[in-house]
Amino acid sequence: MRKHDVVVVGAGLAGQRAALAAIDAGREVAVFSKLHPLRSHSGAAQGGINAAVGKEDSVDTHIYDTVKGSDYLGDQDAIEFFCREAGPTVVEMEHFGTIFNRSADGSLARRPFGGAGFPRTIYAADRTGLALLQALWERLGTEEFTLYEEWDLTSLVVREGTVRGIVAFDRRKGEFALIEAKAVVMATGPFGRVYGRTTNAHSCTGDGVAAAYAVGAALKDMEFVQFHPTALLESGILITEGARGEGGLLKNALGERFMSKYAPHVFELASRDVVSRAIVTEILEGRGFPGGYVHLELMHLGKERIESRLQEICDFARHFAGVDPVTQPLPISPAQHYMMGGIGTDIHGATNVRGLFAAGEAACVSIHGSNRLGGNSLLETLVFGKEAGIAAAAYAAHASVSSLTEDDLATAIAPIRAWSHRTDGEDPSVLRSEMQRVMDQYVGIYRTEADLLEGVRRIRELKKRFARIRVVDQSLVYNVNLSDALEVGHMLELAEVIVVGAYARTESRGAHSRRDYPTRDDAHWMKHTIAHRGADGPQLSYAPVAFTRWEPKERVY
Amino acid sequence: MSEETVTATFDVYRFEPGKDAAPRYDRYVLDLPPHTPVLTALLKVRAEIDPSLTLRYSCRSAICGSCAMQINSKSRLACEAAIGPELERDGRIVIEPMRNQPVLRDLVVDQESFWRNYSKIEPHLILDPRHPMPEGRENPMTPEEVDRFKETPRCIACAACYSACPAVEADPAFPGPMALAKLFRFVVDPRDQAHQDRLVRIQTDGLWLCLRCHLCTEACPKDVRPSERIRDLKEMAIAAQGATEHGSRHAVGFKENIRERGQLNEMKLARQTFGPIGLLAQAPQGIRIWRKKPELLRAPHPIEGQDEVEKIYEALDNGKTKEDLP
Repeated sequence: MRKHDVVVVGAGLAGQRAALAAIDAGREVAVFSKLHPLRSHSGAAQGGINAAVGKEDSVDTHIYDTVKGSDYLGDQDAIEFFCREAGPTVVEMEHFGTIFNRSADGSLARRPFGGAGFPRTIYAADRTGLALLQALWERLGTEEFTLYEEWDLTSLVVREGTVRGIVAFDRRKGEFALIEAKAVVMATGPFGRVYGRTTNAHSCTGDGVAAAYAVGAALKDMEFVQFHPTALLESGILITEGARGEGGLLKNALGERFMSKYAPHVFELASRDVVSRAIVTEILEGRGFPGGYVHLELMHLGKERIESRLQEICDFARHFAGVDPVTQPLPISPAQHYMMGGIGTDIHGATNVRGLFAAGEAACVSIHGSNRLGGNSLLETLVFGKEAGIAAAAYAAHASVSSLTEDDLATAIAPIRAWSHRTDGEDPSVLRSEMQRVMDQYVGIYRTEADLLEGVRRIRELKKRFARIRVVDQSLVYNVNLSDALEVGHMLELAEVIVVGAYARTESRGAHSRRDYPTRDDAHWMKHTIAHRGADGPQLSYAPVAFTRWEPKERVY
Repeated sequence: MSEETVTATFDVYRFEPGKDAAPRYDRYVLDLPPHTPVLTALLKVRAEIDPSLTLRYSCRSAICGSCAMQINSKSRLACEAAIGPELERDGRIVIEPMRNQPVLRDLVVDQESFWRNYSKIEPHLILDPRHPMPEGRENPMTPEEVDRFKETPRCIACAACYSACPAVEADPAFPGPMALAKLFRFVVDPRDQAHQDRLVRIQTDGLWLCLRCHLCTEACPKDVRPSERIRDLKEMAIAAQGATEHGSRHAVGFKENIRERGQLNEMKLARQTFGPIGLLAQAPQGIRIWRKKPELLRAPHPIEGQDEVEKIYEALDNGKTKEDLP
C-alpha cells in the first residue's frame, strides 16, 4: 500500500503552496490532482493579487476594505493576519519567477479593483493566475515529491476521528487505490459547477469539500455564493474586474451608466455583490438588452491599452462572443464565480477533523465573509496554502501510522462499483444538468423562501435519483463517465448545503440577498453558518464572528 | 440572441489500444448554431449520445490547455474552434487526437514526452548564490524588460505546437517548440543567472533540429510564436558561443554565401557546415548530386544586382531591422 507523510489533494495554487511548505518543513509529500497541475483552475484567475505595498496605501486599509467587503462576516483576526502576509507573499512569488507588470520605476505595477480604497491589485496583464501558477509549479519542480497526475479523489478514510488516508481513482489505469497518509490537505478549489451559469471550469466540482463533509468536517458559510458581475452572455466566460479597473463602463439598453444609482461614489468599482445586483435589477426592470444582458464598454480606453492590459479578454470576446472590445461593447451578465464557503478552518488550515487541513477556495477561514473582494482569492491560496502546509507537516511529524487494509478499500468502493454493474439507470450528465438548472433558477442572486424550499425539494429528489445512477462506459482506461459520476455525487451533497443554509439565513448580507428579508440583521445573523452532515441532510449550527477593531457599519460604495 | 442552426457532421476518432483491433471513426450528426465551439459539441455527444467518448477538457475558455486535438487536421483547442468555419471549408468536422503523442484512448494522448522535454530545459530561475535576491522586496524590472519576454508568458502548455511539429515527429532529440519557447522565457529573464549556460547547452540539445517550418506558430492558440523565439534563441546562441554546431555553422555559412554571391555555393556551404573532415562523411551524398546535377557543386557566379544584396547586409550590420528596409 502507498504511504505518505502529507497528502495534498488538488494542485492549484493552494495545493502547490501547501506542498512546498510541507516539503520545506522536511516532510515527505504526495500531491494528487485530477488535472495536470498547470491545468488547474487557478490559472484562469485574471485580474490580480492584492497587497498594500504602495506608499499611499496601508495594510490597515486593506484590512478595513476586506472587512467591509465581507459585510462584517469575515473574521477580523484572520483578515489582519491575511493582509499582513500579502506583501511578503507577493514578493516571494516574484522571487520564484512570476512575471508581473511593472511601473516605469521598475516596481510592481498596481491597478484599481472593486471595493478597494487604493489601487492595490498587482497583476500580470489579465492572466495573473496563470503567471503565478507557472512560477509556483516551476519552483515546486525543483523539489522532491510524488505527483499523482489525473487521479480523482473518491473519499477520505477516517478512523476514531483521525484522518488515515484517502481513496482515489487513477484515471489512466482505471484503478481505485487506498493511500495512507498521516495528514491530508484539501485544496481542491471551488464547486461552481453546481451552477449552470458559472465562470468556473468543468473540473470545479468540490470533490475535496464533499469528501471532508462526508467524514464529519464542518462546512462554513456555504450559502454565500459570489456572482461575478461581468461574464460573457452565452458562455459565462469571465471578463475580469480588471476591465472595470482599467476604466470599463457598464451601460444599460438606454445608454445610461446605471451604476451611478447604486454606487454613487465608486460606480463600476463597487464590490461584486453590489454590481451584480445592480445589473440584475436593471435587467428585471426592463432596462437590459433583449435576451437579458447589459453592456461593458471598453472602446474609449483605446486599442493600445485594451490590447496590452486586457489581452486575454480580447481573445475571449473575439472568439467566444464574436465581439471586438476595441470597437464594440461586450454583452455581459452576472454568473456564479466564487464560493465564499467551504471547509471550516482556523488560520493554520486546521479543521475539526484531526489530521485534516484545508486551504484555498475549498476552505473557509473566513476572510471573505459574505462577499469576497477581487484580488483577495489569489492571495488567499498562497497565504493559507502555506499555513496549511506548515501545520500539516508539523502534525504529520508526530502522528502515528495507522494500519489500513485492502478490506478498507473494498468497503469504500463497493457502492461505486455498483454504478458500473447496473443494466439500467440514469447517466450522471442528466443529473448534473438538472442540478445546475435548479441552482440557477432557485438559488441565484436574489432568493426567496418559496424558491429556496423548491430548491431543497428538487436537490433532495436528485440525490435520491443519484442512488440509482448508472455508468455505461465499462472501460478501465480514462473512464470519464465514472469521473462524472463521482463529481455529480460530490456536487449534489454541496448543493444541498448551499440551499439549506440559504433558506435558514433570513437576512440579506453580502452576496446572500433575500427578497423577503432585504436588510442585514446583525442582531440575529452576525454569525457563521456551520453545517455537519446528518442522516437527513445538513445539520446547521452557528458560530460567532471574530472582531478586533472594526465595528459593523452600513456598507456604502 | 437566437441563431439559425446548421447540421454538423462529426467524424470522431475512437480507439482504445489493447482493446480495439484498430481505430475507427464514429459519426455524430448534430444541429447546432455555427458559432458553437467544437468542445461544446463533443460534450453534447457525451451527454446525449455516447458517454464513453473520451477527451480532456476543463476551463472551456482557452486558458487551461486541456482540450487540444486535431480538428480537420489542424492542432487546435476544441473550446476555441467554432464549428461554422470548419463546416464551410470542409463540409464536415473530423476530430482526431493530437499527433506526436501516443493515444491512451480516443482523444486523450499520453503527454509524458511533452512534459519531459519541458522539464529538461530546467524551467525555473537559476540563481547565483553570490547575487542573492533583494531581501523583503521585489527585483526591479522595467516595463521594457517585461516586453523582452514577448508573448511567451501566455503559453498554456496545450501542446498544439508539439502536435503540429514535424521535427518532433522526425527526431526524438528535438525538445519541441513549447520547451524552446519556455527556454527563451528564462534566457531573457533578467533575474535568471544561467543565460550563458542555457544557450551553450541548447546548441547541442536540439536547438538546431528545428526545421523553420513555422507550423508551431500557426498552431499556437496564444500567439506565443514559438518558431520566432527559436530563431531568437539561435541568434543568441551564436552571439554567446559562436557557430560551433553543424546547425549554427550552416546558418553562418549561409549568410556569408549570400553576401558573397547572392546565391548559395553548395560545396562551400557543406565545407563550412561539416568542416573538411566531416565533409568526407558526406561523400556519398556528393556523388549522388554530382551524377544528377553536377552544376550544384560548382561555385556560382555572383548574381546580377549583387551590390544591392551588399547594401542590405550593410544596413543590417548597422542595426537596421527588416522593417526599416525598403
